[in-house]
Amino acid sequence: MTTAHDSTRLRLVILTVLVLVCLLVGLAAGTVPLSLGQVWHGLWRADTSASVIVRDLRAPRVLLAFAVGGSLAVCGAALQAMIRNPLAEPYLLGLSGGAGLGAVIAIATEATGPWSVPLAAFVGAIAAVALVYRLSVVAGRRLDPRVLLLSGVVVGSFAGALMSAIIVLSPAAGIRNAFLWLLGGFGAASWRSLGVFAAYAALPLAIIGLNGRNLDLVALGEEPAHHLGTDVDRTRRVIYACTALLTAASVATCGIIGFVGLVVPHAVRTVARPLHRTLLPLVFVVGGSFLVLSDVLSRTVVRPLELPVGVITALVGVPLFAVLLRRTMA
Amino acid sequence: MSTASPPSCTARLRPRGWAVSISGLYARLLAFAALLVGLTACRTAVPPGPAATLLVDDAGDTVRVAGAARRIVSLIPAATELLFAIGAGSRVVGRTEWCDFPDAAARVPNLGDGINPNVEAVLASRPDLVILYNSAQNAAIAGRLRALGIASARLNTDALSDVGRVGRILGRLTGRVAGADSVAAVFDTALARATAAAGPRRPKVLLLVWEQPPMTIGRGSFLSELVERAGGVNLFADVTASAGTVSIEAVTARDPDLILTTAEGPASFAERPEWQAVRAVRERRFLPVSGSEYNRPSPRAPGAIRELARRLRARA
Repeated sequence: MTTAHDSTRLRLVILTVLVLVCLLVGLAAGTVPLSLGQVWHGLWRADTSASVIVRDLRAPRVLLAFAVGGSLAVCGAALQAMIRNPLAEPYLLGLSGGAGLGAVIAIATEATGPWSVPLAAFVGAIAAVALVYRLSVVAGRRLDPRVLLLSGVVVGSFAGALMSAIIVLSPAAGIRNAFLWLLGGFGAASWRSLGVFAAYAALPLAIIGLNGRNLDLVALGEEPAHHLGTDVDRTRRVIYACTALLTAASVATCGIIGFVGLVVPHAVRTVARPLHRTLLPLVFVVGGSFLVLSDVLSRTVVRPLELPVGVITALVGVPLFAVLLRRTMA
Repeated sequence: MSTASPPSCTARLRPRGWAVSISGLYARLLAFAALLVGLTACRTAVPPGPAATLLVDDAGDTVRVAGAARRIVSLIPAATELLFAIGAGSRVVGRTEWCDFPDAAARVPNLGDGINPNVEAVLASRPDLVILYNSAQNAAIAGRLRALGIASARLNTDALSDVGRVGRILGRLTGRVAGADSVAAVFDTALARATAAAGPRRPKVLLLVWEQPPMTIGRGSFLSELVERAGGVNLFADVTASAGTVSIEAVTARDPDLILTTAEGPASFAERPEWQAVRAVRERRFLPVSGSEYNRPSPRAPGAIRELARRLRARA
């Protein structure tokens, strides 16, 4: 009993160290090469030349990447359990299409104001989610995961078609750059955007976390879950609402970052298959660290240019995942 | 048939006399078939006479125009401007949505944004020469036009050096060689005169062409050339791509003296917190430019350089 407890504690320590190393790498690496000493001084003293870069640009950027990566991964894990489909991921429910449509409309109508594009993306995402939900509930009185998946795909395609039509027809200069914004990145991170995201994400994350036991049961199947005393329908609605809100917030802050929500939960499960109470925090930490490191690559590989972080998550994540998959299948 | 000249061919492309008697879809189908037959006939019927103009375009293809081009569809705004400058403006029968200079160009029918041009719309304007931007995308269009017997030239219009060069190509294709030579000569002189002598301190200018994400223009691109000749330095002259996304961190570290924006209206990014790390944003050192002389190489470039130089000196 004590050995099991000790090994848990050891794993916790290792994980904490890993996270800290990731955050530190995120602070130390970037377009401008800084030594660890400069980073350290820049962090605590406002007068050094590095302090603007470290304190105002890199620190919020790293923390935002961590929070968004963790949130997307948790959404993916919860949706995979709820829909009982390994392909479930945060953008499946029409969110990416809706967010894209919102952003494109904002750019096409030349809406001014520093926050018009993210706000429009958020509104678009929420509208798409509401439509998907409405379609799924109409089809059957209860929230059927299969109908939900189909509605999500259908609404996503519809929004995508509208988006393409607007991009082709709009006379707005730079409308084609809307795609660049959608491809995702943390270049626009600030303490304010981090604060907004954190304030917003805290509640849905907590609710998903508290539904760990329900997720364990729902993942077993509708019948067993029902017999073991879970209100399956209610769990589905709650999880659906929380993941939708979380994903919409992340799209609004940093565009569409694929792959994290799909593969990080699977990757964690290939190593360990704990209950959701443990799995969800684990997935959050791994997803966050993965996105922090991806963001580091996105701003260093083609200095002084930046690559969209979604490109990195797929380029680095797919081979990693393939290796993990082979090892567990063997 | 061997004596058939281009005007008789174009006459055959308009089978209006009988088309009106047959209604609806059939009429259109027949008209289209007749159009195709007519075009094919033209293609086989017109031998490269002694007056044919032959030259190699920027894509490496041979362009052959019988005599001088009389009906030109120009799908590059810079080429439209040059055609008017060399005195061939009255022959332009189709343009892009962006061809806004000179004012007379606006009266030419608009055939769309010039990207992925609609071949039917191009055919409907009965051109004997189509000017296309030299992109991989336009290779297929050029091939289709060639199959229909219509000459096309794919041209690069990216740099200041293209103005005189493309002007002379268009001069040969339209038979306005003397006009083109004088436009090119005047342009070269004006360019040399407008180019600012390197001052003691050249301001570093961030060329911000898009805000979210921040995108800039690399070395050798047209706008970069304008700024360098006006006495400024492109903050990202080390970027070799024509445009690229850069981080605010890189901008902060390089500390531009001025931020040139191409957006019309107020710079809304200036209100965002992450941009406050950049000194030029805090001090509101913006240089907004609008007007098509800043986004395409044209005979107006020397004027744009002089204007930029004046504003750079005023803000220095």
